[in-house]
Amino acid sequence: MSTTAYLVGLGAAGAAALLGAILPARRRLFGAALLSAAACLAALAGAGRVLVSGHPFSLHTAQVLPLTGVDLSLDPLGALFVATTAVVGLAAACYSVGYGAHATPSRTATAALPAFLATLLLVPAAASVATFMVAWELMALTSLLALLTEHRRRPETRDAAQWYAAMTHVGAAAILLGLVLLATHAGGQTFSAIAAHRGRRSVPLTSAVFVLTLLGFASKAGAVPLHVWLPRAHPEAPSPISALMSGAMVNLGIYGILRVGEDLLGGGQLWWWLLVAALGVVSAVFGALHAAASTDTKRLLAYSTVDNVGLVLVGVGAAGALAAGGERLLAGLVLLAALFHLVNHALFKGCLFLGAGALQHAAGTRDLDRLGGLARKMPATAVLFAVGALSISALPGLNGFASEWLLLQGLLHGFASHSATTEAALLSGVAALAITGGLTATAFVKALGVGFLGQPRTEGARGAREVGPSMLAGMALLAGGCVVLGVVPGVALPVLDRAAAAGLPGGAPSALRVGLGLDLASLHGAIEPVLLVTGLLAGILVIWGALRLAPRHAELRRPRRAEAWGCGRELQTARMEITATSFAEPLQRVFADVLRPDHDLEVTHAAESRYFPEAISFHQRVDDAIERVAYGPVIAAVAWWGRLARRVPNGSVHRYLAFGFAALVLILVVLA
Amino acid sequence: MTAGAALDVVELAAGVVLAGAVLALWRKDLRALISVLALQGAALASLAAVLAVGDGDVGLGVVAGVVLVTKGLVIPGLLTRVVRADPGSRETAPLVNVPASLVAAAVLVVLSYLVAGRLTALFPDPLTRLVPLGLATVLVGVFVLVTRRKAVSQIVGLLLVDNGVALVAFLLTAGVPLLVELGTSLDVLLVVVVLQVLATTMRARFGHVDLDQLRELHD
Amino acid sequence: MTATFADVATLSAASPGLWARAGASVLQVAAVAAGGPLLLGLMGKVRARAEGRIGPPITQGLWDLRKLLRKEAIRAEHTSAVAALAPLVLVASAALAAAVTPLVTTGPVVAGGADVFVVVYLLLMGSVALALGGLDAGTAFGGMGSSRAMTIGAISEPALLVGILALAVQAHTSNLPGIVAASLAHPGWLASPQRLLALAALVVVVIAETGRIPVDNPSTHLELTMIHEAMILEYAGSDLALVTVGEAMRLGLLLGLVANLFFPWGVEGSGGGLAILIGLVVLGAKTATLAALIALVEVSTAKLRLFRVPELLAGGFVLAVVAVTTGLVAR
Repeated sequence: MSTTAYLVGLGAAGAAALLGAILPARRRLFGAALLSAAACLAALAGAGRVLVSGHPFSLHTAQVLPLTGVDLSLDPLGALFVATTAVVGLAAACYSVGYGAHATPSRTATAALPAFLATLLLVPAAASVATFMVAWELMALTSLLALLTEHRRRPETRDAAQWYAAMTHVGAAAILLGLVLLATHAGGQTFSAIAAHRGRRSVPLTSAVFVLTLLGFASKAGAVPLHVWLPRAHPEAPSPISALMSGAMVNLGIYGILRVGEDLLGGGQLWWWLLVAALGVVSAVFGALHAAASTDTKRLLAYSTVDNVGLVLVGVGAAGALAAGGERLLAGLVLLAALFHLVNHALFKGCLFLGAGALQHAAGTRDLDRLGGLARKMPATAVLFAVGALSISALPGLNGFASEWLLLQGLLHGFASHSATTEAALLSGVAALAITGGLTATAFVKALGVGFLGQPRTEGARGAREVGPSMLAGMALLAGGCVVLGVVPGVALPVLDRAAAAGLPGGAPSALRVGLGLDLASLHGAIEPVLLVTGLLAGILVIWGALRLAPRHAELRRPRRAEAWGCGRELQTARMEITATSFAEPLQRVFADVLRPDHDLEVTHAAESRYFPEAISFHQRVDDAIERVAYGPVIAAVAWWGRLARRVPNGSVHRYLAFGFAALVLILVVLA
Repeated sequence: MTAGAALDVVELAAGVVLAGAVLALWRKDLRALISVLALQGAALASLAAVLAVGDGDVGLGVVAGVVLVTKGLVIPGLLTRVVRADPGSRETAPLVNVPASLVAAAVLVVLSYLVAGRLTALFPDPLTRLVPLGLATVLVGVFVLVTRRKAVSQIVGLLLVDNGVALVAFLLTAGVPLLVELGTSLDVLLVVVVLQVLATTMRARFGHVDLDQLRELHD
Repeated sequence: MTATFADVATLSAASPGLWARAGASVLQVAAVAAGGPLLLGLMGKVRARAEGRIGPPITQGLWDLRKLLRKEAIRAEHTSAVAALAPLVLVASAALAAAVTPLVTTGPVVAGGADVFVVVYLLLMGSVALALGGLDAGTAFGGMGSSRAMTIGAISEPALLVGILALAVQAHTSNLPGIVAASLAHPGWLASPQRLLALAALVVVVIAETGRIPVDNPSTHLELTMIHEAMILEYAGSDLALVTVGEAMRLGLLLGLVANLFFPWGVEGSGGGLAILIGLVVLGAKTATLAALIALVEVSTAKLRLFRVPELLAGGFVLAVVAVTTGLVAR
């Protein structure tokens, strides 16, 4: 039953891609979106059944791929990723109807989304090296295609696509190398055969495999310093694709680390997981800092993805380290928290990317410095975006808080492990959570406050209109998920428990008691968000009611509207409002050593006197320092190599044929 | 005094020594740095005294007295005289700014916990376990030496290193031989006096005691 | 440390019924709501006396609130619902935090919410609400205040959470009644280095979070130097009353939290009217002492430049890290 549902979903997504490519222009968008949504529902049903029952399915068919055949299998760990992808995909499909409606969408644009979706659903079910690599490469290709759909309108997209293509292919090569290395030393190339061989491999081999695959998976997940493609690609992709990239594709990087490190290699060495945790700490802090300094909505969201992936990696690393030290209960708890945060991140980041797309759709720009006052123009979008922004800021009652609390609990109780290195990792993890917590809140107060509150700063923002119902429905689905998982996080626990147990070799006992809230039974610690939300709403109602009813004079009961006071200034214009750049300025100055902003101030003076400036122009860029320092030399070296290589071809066909022939002979010599 | 209470005092004193090192990075006012040193001296002396009472060791008791006099009173007094000659002197522009130094200190503390934790695991003993605190003090002291410009700050860095070493010595051996402790105390005292003279001469010659300017002598 | 769990288990078994706990929670909220303005009044009085002035009476804050409630609330014309909601959320979140924190009694009504991280994030909720409210009117000063307040909040968060971690690691739980019970069971912890270091870190955070000198000057009249005051410039009448009382409640709550985490004596655990009354008096005495100490520090220090504040808070963060490490070493 779960197998059928999952396969139907996969097939429907493929069919949706086909429909998008062949249907006439008017029906194309709707047809593809409808079928994609159906595909997501079917895949969700299949994965949901695996998660609820705990029984994995697997199948093998020799027909599709020559030599190896295709192996598919879905255990609770993979099913969690399929289910998350399906939910984000459902919202994105729904949203894409309104998003693409303003212009006749091209065939490629319509087909790209379902095709990308199909590969995203496929990867977590791949159960052999060959199947996995094919699915992984298909995902890379379709996502590249999807990223490029708006390249005619924005040339920057091409630059982003080049970065993405380079990073993703280097990553895929590393993964391929690692997995092939592993498969040659195991009884076969299916995952079950490799996993059965766990204990019989040498440490240098497994370590090499882990580091190679980690390189590839961390670059897909967007971990610093392999993140450079992410803040370019996510903003330039169309918004439904951005949502899928941030809400589903980066997750698969985490999935890969867990699948290879825990399942195939069986946990392995302590230092692997400390490395993962260190990557997480650096990513979290770096991403949060850049998010706090960004003024482009989608760039901010992209860096915030780096931040949240970092937090998930902290959890995965801590879980691996605890498991390597034999602390199964604590490892299970931390892994559960990390997976919970991953699911929550998919929900709120998906919602926020869709919201950012709505902003761009309505106001024509994603630059916060040119927005403002949109809460009154597009109230529904504002509310939904606010739910996402407050969730990611971890306010109690929303899902970000539930998972961050659980992660904090996991790290806190992990201190009982009495291993100095693990404890240092846990302490760094808590410090990273603490540093990112405040920075994230600042970043999203900026996005919400500067983008939606105050007065509109440009004509575009002034003329913004509310977006259509299909776009709102897409956002509402994900925002609703944020609220539900925030108020009653306990409902997700049984499912997450199974996924976390499947993620650790030999399983893990459950640390949590089943209920509506979160209760760490034997470890002592609990929250009950339902009661917190009820208390908060009751408090707000009581105070509001008291202020409305208590005053004797009628005019005291209703606040009067008047011009903003602004310390007695007579003129208040939107030009005097704070911009996103100035909002971020204090933080940017505090962290100038890491962010390294470039300032450019030009003052032209009046000819008569130097005391009267005629024009002042101020430019500021906050480039990625890691990109500049670490990738600049590499790019220069590659360019040099390219120039060198350009001397070789001279246009002679014979020369090219000779090269091919020489290569063939060389290979034969090597083989002989 | 019960063993538990004695251990509490030792832990507290060790914590105070490390916290003093952090404070030395935090404050720019040179007079504050000197009071930090006095505090550390008092903490070390009380630590030694508690150990002496616990073991009934008279020699250690004398060491405690020596530590109190040299580290707690004489050295801070000498440094106060240097600073008083130059009122309002502050560590104005350290080579690494204060927040970055503090974050570096946090990393150093965790690092020394990791490194010394390995060593102390060999001798699981209530006193030995505190060694990471002494090591962290030494590391922070070296950090002060490396990144601070004023001559007085340099002396403070040196003394932080010395205090850290003394802490480690007390914890590991529960009592340095009297002669050794006396020797090191006098050595440090001598260094302070030499540096004081140097600083005074420098001020007389160049009008300041910013060691970074010494580079000019090289050219 | 198994004793800790046992302590907590007996504690929750002995805790009174739902209605009694609800009553205790309401009492705590009322105590914080009334006590917060009084603490502010006390701090003003101590400062005035130290400066050789007589100063306004301690109850001045309450009279100011009464005055504000009798005035008309005026809102800027461009504001959205956020400006109306922000003061309500500020007060409600502070009240909820006061209801779940063991200030007078360890048995609050939302038993599952009495977690120290819940209190921290509820306070964050109030800060976010105020910052959004400051941006809503679209004036220059409001946005500037929000930006500064969020910046200081962001850089004080690490010291706050890691400082709390030092306590939680020691008590093996982040559950507030659990920490209080564990501290009561181990009086020696009071003088342990990790506690003292964590206390120093948290005091720095409390000063930053409540906007006191040297981080912010609550009585400034110069907009360009304002942090908190700039953010609330547009509020008037009952809105301003809510913001004022909300801020006072946050001060009272933070002082009460620090007092009970580090000096847990007098927190009532078993139930009974007299014990609660004693708890109330002890809480008042503890927070008043802390407030007076902070006021004395305020008199003798100058306000820091905004860009020197990170030094202060980075110091708090390092003290917290040292506290955790010392705790691990001395275990």
